[in-house]
Amino acid sequence: MSANLTPLTPPTEARIQEIGSAEVLVGIPSYNNADTVAHVVRAVSVGLAKHFPGRRAVLVNSDGGSSDQTPAIVARTAIDFEHLFIADQQSILHRIVTPYHGIPGKGSAFRTIFEIARRLNARACAVVDADLRSISPEWIELLLRPILEEGYDYVAPYYLRHKYDGTITNSLAYPLTRALYGRRVRQPIGGEFGFSGALAAHYLDQHVWESEVARFGIDIWMTTEAIASGARICQSFLGAKIHNPKDPSADLSAMLTQVMGALFALMEKHEVLWSRLEGSQPVPLFGFTYEVGVEPVHVNMERMVLHYRQGLTDLEPIWRQILADDTFAQLRDLQGTSNTDCRIPDELWVQVVYDAAIAHRKRIIRRDHLLKALTPLYLGRTASFVHATQGLTSVEAEQKIEALCHTFERMKPYLVERWQPPAPQPAAPALLHHTSTDAGGDHE
Amino acid sequence: MSDFINQALLGPLELLGRQVLTVLPNVLAMGIILLGGIFTAWALGSFSERLLRVIGFDHFCDRVGMNAALLRGGVKTDPSRLVGRGIYWTVIVMASIAALGALNLTPINQFAQSLLAYVPHLVTAAVILLAGYFLSNFVSQAVLIAAVNAGLPPARLIAACSRWGIQVLAAAMALEQLGIAQHIVVVGFGITWGGIVLAGAIAFGLGASDLAKELLERRLINRSKANPDDDLHHW
Repeated sequence: MSANLTPLTPPTEARIQEIGSAEVLVGIPSYNNADTVAHVVRAVSVGLAKHFPGRRAVLVNSDGGSSDQTPAIVARTAIDFEHLFIADQQSILHRIVTPYHGIPGKGSAFRTIFEIARRLNARACAVVDADLRSISPEWIELLLRPILEEGYDYVAPYYLRHKYDGTITNSLAYPLTRALYGRRVRQPIGGEFGFSGALAAHYLDQHVWESEVARFGIDIWMTTEAIASGARICQSFLGAKIHNPKDPSADLSAMLTQVMGALFALMEKHEVLWSRLEGSQPVPLFGFTYEVGVEPVHVNMERMVLHYRQGLTDLEPIWRQILADDTFAQLRDLQGTSNTDCRIPDELWVQVVYDAAIAHRKRIIRRDHLLKALTPLYLGRTASFVHATQGLTSVEAEQKIEALCHTFERMKPYLVERWQPPAPQPAAPALLHHTSTDAGGDHE
Repeated sequence: MSDFINQALLGPLELLGRQVLTVLPNVLAMGIILLGGIFTAWALGSFSERLLRVIGFDHFCDRVGMNAALLRGGVKTDPSRLVGRGIYWTVIVMASIAALGALNLTPINQFAQSLLAYVPHLVTAAVILLAGYFLSNFVSQAVLIAAVNAGLPPARLIAACSRWGIQVLAAAMALEQLGIAQHIVVVGFGITWGGIVLAGAIAFGLGASDLAKELLERRLINRSKANPDDDLHHW
């Protein structure tokens, strides 16, 4: 056990002493989720009782100071097991409801969950968001069983989503993570994850908890760190993800800053690893996959294109600093086109992302300004994607995303050449006990 | 005759000689101080310039937009050399004042003292101007990006206003520090700034009341109605 223990409140310490140890642990980070948290607690409780009846299980709620009674709801939510045909509930589900210490944010909530998992010596853990509406007991099985019975260290979620749902994932997080680290994790910033106790301990030992990771970017950090540490990773098909709606546009810039900032910061940390990799490997997928109709998403494409055009005009001096001359020239050529013809093709988008990563590394301008200045470019790219996939089925749209991923991989030398080569170092040691060979060789 | 020669010719010459002998050490001291000052100025200027080059000061200035600003002002010298020359001339001026002080002449001493007393104000004013310049650059860039991301059409105008607002404020503070027309600067700045704010408020309130209403509604009542025709989920 590491000497650097994360501080917990005295009641939580006492509760851990009381429980002693646990085999499985499910964490729910929360902040003002009174509307939905009871459903999540019920799904987790039923999932544990139904699928892991004989295992000593703990549910941990790590709360960020909710003012709407969220922790109280977690503590008192009761489940009628008989009506769910669960008669042989062998193990009592222990609950720990605790506030977290540190910088406010989901990352700090996760840190507390990891620490409790370490103290309880948990073998398998899962985290699920407290605002989920579509979570079912099967999610718990799908997130924990690959750890307990298949020997995996990290389980990423795989959702059924509308083709226009999760555009940051589709145009940035997934293709970039895949091209850099060579693993096809379709939802690297999904929000629901399963992980082994060893990986939780590894996460705790990283010195990131006073950085921005503690505030945001925890999802992409967990996925990247799992890949980089040599953990065995897989995915589980969870079906549709429906959660309380976030403001669709007001926080876009902040969201983009979170994801891009974390991705670029991790690129610096793991440059020795990704600069040597080529192509990508598929990641095993568990669960019964199916197709269902998802609710249509209305998109105001013209507004996005106008946003992009304004960026091209007003942010020109900043974009000129961030982007390579050729990249900016291609973007500028789009200025004369009509709104319907104003599209950022795959190659150009990849160049933009790679140029931005290099500028971020070289600190060409203040990093927060750089990341926020990319918002109109992202909207331009999203409009292009929407335009290209109008009338296509989800499967066909997925093929477009696949093509974008291939472009990211094909153009990786563009990034490696411009990224200042790191000093020769020995290969990063595998921090966990496995090697990532489970998917079979499919390097391209 | 010899008395006449002694009194009329040798006396003044002896007096002059004594005076020269009295002043000569001071003149020598002035020369030594000047020479020492020139050497120190050269050494300090060169050393500072080289040190700044080694630590990447030019690159830093390039990043914060200082090089571009210098170019806009017709200055093609790089920042490290500029600082080096600045240090050189500062030491030369200080050495000159000290050298003049070595002559021990009352009017020159008074002049040197008043000049020395003014130096802290000069330094403070320079620091204020420099800080104002950096702050205005930072704020205007942040405002420009935020305004573009918010979809405000006059984004560049808003950013330019924030830049010039801060630079004018810094200039007013620097002038006040230098003691140049203190009251006029403060009053003039207050009237101008107050007028701009009042004009902006009236223009926004009367000319763009619908926009003001929409903005407030969006901010205070229901943020999720910001784009009712777009339900794209980016995350």
